[in-house]
Amino acid sequence: MRIRSQLLIVGLSTLALPWAGCQYARELEITLRGSQEQALRASAVTVADALAAEPQRVFRDASDRAPFDPARGDIYVFPLSRQPLLDGYRDDWSVPQEPLAMPDDGGPRTRLQAGATERYLFLYVEVEDPRFEPEPSAVQLSTDHFDRVELLVQRPDGTLGSYFFATDAPGLIEGQSFAVADDGSLQAGLEPRLQAYWLQTKEGYHLEIRIPLSMVASRLWIRPLDGLKNPPKWELPAIEHLQAGRLFFASEGLDELLATFVRDGTRATVVDPNGLKFGSAGAFESSTEAAHARTLSQDWFRARLEVDDSGLPLRAPSPDRLEGPEVDAALGGQVATAWLRTGRDQRPLLSVAAPIVVDGVTRGALVLEQSGDQLLGLRDHALTRLFYLTSLATAISLAFVFGFASWIGVRIGRLQSAADAAIGPDGRIALQMPEAARSDELGSLARSFEGLLARLNEHTQYLRTLGGKLAHELRTPLTIVRSSLDNLESEGLREDQRAFVQRARDGSQRLGSILSALGAAARVEESIKQSERVNVDLRELLMSAVGGYQSAFPQIRIELLAPPDVCFLQGAPDLIVQMLDKLVDNAVDYCPAGGAILIELRRDAADYRLSIANDGPPIPDALLPRLFESLFEHRSSPGDKPHFGLGLYIVRLIAEFHGGQSMAGNRPDAGGALFTVILPSI
Amino acid sequence: MIEPMKKQIAIVEDEPALRENYSAALARHGYLIKTYANRDSAMQAFRLRLPDLAIIDISLEDEAEGGFELCRDLRALSAELPIVFLTARDSELDAVSGLRLGADDFLTKDVSLPHLAARVAALFRRIDALRATGKATEVLRRGALAIDVERMQTTWGATPVVLSLTEFWIVHALARSPGHVKNRQQLMDAASVVLDDETITSHIKRVRRKFQAVDAGFDAIQTVYGMGYRWVE
Repeated sequence: MRIRSQLLIVGLSTLALPWAGCQYARELEITLRGSQEQALRASAVTVADALAAEPQRVFRDASDRAPFDPARGDIYVFPLSRQPLLDGYRDDWSVPQEPLAMPDDGGPRTRLQAGATERYLFLYVEVEDPRFEPEPSAVQLSTDHFDRVELLVQRPDGTLGSYFFATDAPGLIEGQSFAVADDGSLQAGLEPRLQAYWLQTKEGYHLEIRIPLSMVASRLWIRPLDGLKNPPKWELPAIEHLQAGRLFFASEGLDELLATFVRDGTRATVVDPNGLKFGSAGAFESSTEAAHARTLSQDWFRARLEVDDSGLPLRAPSPDRLEGPEVDAALGGQVATAWLRTGRDQRPLLSVAAPIVVDGVTRGALVLEQSGDQLLGLRDHALTRLFYLTSLATAISLAFVFGFASWIGVRIGRLQSAADAAIGPDGRIALQMPEAARSDELGSLARSFEGLLARLNEHTQYLRTLGGKLAHELRTPLTIVRSSLDNLESEGLREDQRAFVQRARDGSQRLGSILSALGAAARVEESIKQSERVNVDLRELLMSAVGGYQSAFPQIRIELLAPPDVCFLQGAPDLIVQMLDKLVDNAVDYCPAGGAILIELRRDAADYRLSIANDGPPIPDALLPRLFESLFEHRSSPGDKPHFGLGLYIVRLIAEFHGGQSMAGNRPDAGGALFTVILPSI
Repeated sequence: MIEPMKKQIAIVEDEPALRENYSAALARHGYLIKTYANRDSAMQAFRLRLPDLAIIDISLEDEAEGGFELCRDLRALSAELPIVFLTARDSELDAVSGLRLGADDFLTKDVSLPHLAARVAALFRRIDALRATGKATEVLRRGALAIDVERMQTTWGATPVVLSLTEFWIVHALARSPGHVKNRQQLMDAASVVLDDETITSHIKRVRRKFQAVDAGFDAIQTVYGMGYRWVE
């Protein structure tokens, strides 16, 4: 794995930053929720205590504590925000709840809903009575059969009022009162204060009734009668009917009172021991609305990062009731808290219920509800910033890590290629390494490389000059031997002695040529230093030289391929010929008799390429880079003349003197060796 | 007629074995040999009496170029005294040529003793020929070149060109058969020296320079690449 990838993986650890941020945000949310809970709890207790101090403003009927029981005819009166139009429809009541079925008393099936504005009580009655029996024009209550709705109310003064609604033509009607006359007969009379709208439908009829609140105290009893089915048993409704038909009003003025306690985003509700709402104020919806406007990205990480709310109980909104464990606990006398989900998108909702205790008795509960989204807004803001900041930090650090890794990689690569190329194809050692000027570890690695190369170079230099030094040192003793032999011969020797002297002379001769070869490199270097450059026509020089080689080596075919025109370069012709001599000598040495040597001169853009190919055994690849080294000798040479690999070294020295280079290789067809010398043209 | 006095040769060589060998070989040829191991002892003796010929090694004991110094001092004592350098045969040849110290010949220590003796004899012959005035001599003429083989003197036009013995024999070998290519071996044989290719090349170079000093347009010695050299008229 490349360093870049490795460091990138290391860099990925910075992803812990956003993760930690999210964890922190989650903690933050939990803490915020806790503190919200505490705050709301404190508020609830305070408000409940304040309400308990003024029970008359909270509870309309302070004495009645029987539980709400719709089965017995208890009626919940929804608070109506606007005065509805009497039209037989309840669409304009703004009460989402459907009307409740009334207890079955043998009459037509009826559903009832009650509502109240400040001045009026509204009743909405749905009766299943497909057949309409109109009221006769001159009604005889004792005998006439017609559809009607009877209403019994308890007036504020405690007396009872009996009324009925009937009509001969559906539409806006007035209520009628009936009473037992002195003669015992039932007398009817119009009651214009009671207004109603009779709407005939396919299934029956709707009756929307408006009663001034001044006519109603706290109990009401209503009964529809089917004129066909129910024989008209006209009778004054007994007071017993009213034992159960209690009206459960939202307390007058309680909403306003509560409104003084609540802040925006909080809803306060007072419930009676049944959980029925007496009054409420405020709304927690506003911030929910705001929450809907959140950005997509917030939703994205909210979905992944927020505290899991899905386990919270779901509370369906109810217009008349508020029920839940916290409400039950509060009605039992305990302050309680609950986290819920509510609304269309099931946002978290905090609900705190505190008991309202009057004279030691729990008369109801105050419930404060606050949207969890208030927190979310705060948290989201923090979270978004945190997320963006940490993501940005991660991105930046990743970019840095990547950049740094690439840089390190490039530097190592540079160092590596320099190390690979440190010992050139010609055996010369490059002493300079890149990066050596840097002060870091790579710099010191490069410097170590340089030190290594310098030592290697010293060693190579030493080896290179060793031959010359050795030759120089051995020359004097050799000369002593030779001159002694000369003297010995001149003294007059017997024939047998002469043979020994001759052998000694041959030996010293061979020793001499070995030493001569050893010192040759130094001499060539010396003579190269003193060479002068002149304008040379390489082509002419080659043609002349090749002519010489052809006559010198008749057993081998030597061919020259050269450009048709002059090839001038700046150089020392003697040296070039010497170089050529060595190359051709070498080629001839390894070329079998009858083989061919092809000398080719090509002109490139800025240099001449002189190649000499022979028919001989190819050179093993491993030896190629070392061929031009001083005193390198591998292949056994055919002749018995000492071969010390100096020829190719001299070739290299001369090529370098001309600013060129020498290369060894094999012919593409592997049929022999191919030596190439590149010499820059003028 | 009294027997002519023996020629006296001074050998300045710090290597005792070599010194004795050279001394023995030359003594056998009838020369009177004086040997010296270093520059001081040699100079002391030379101030008292000049030898007829001096063979000087370049490096003398701890003086790497003591021979050069000695040559210069000796030349100051006598302008005509033949001086032969014996070198340890490295790059010193060129150094010597650059110094132009007025030596008459440079020989490497590879030279065999018979060759050394022949060189010495040739030098004495040149001295004698120079001294014997008016005597008709064999002169080889090639255009502007005139080679007096007896006196071993070379002239280009009317100007003498001072060549060392080795150079003289190289020029002689080339000029004797103009147009013929002489390879390096042939030139070495002609000069009776054992030299390697580089040394022959530098000899040729030096010869050219010496002629060019007389005549800037000199190009009678032509290089035949891959073969050798030839004299063109």
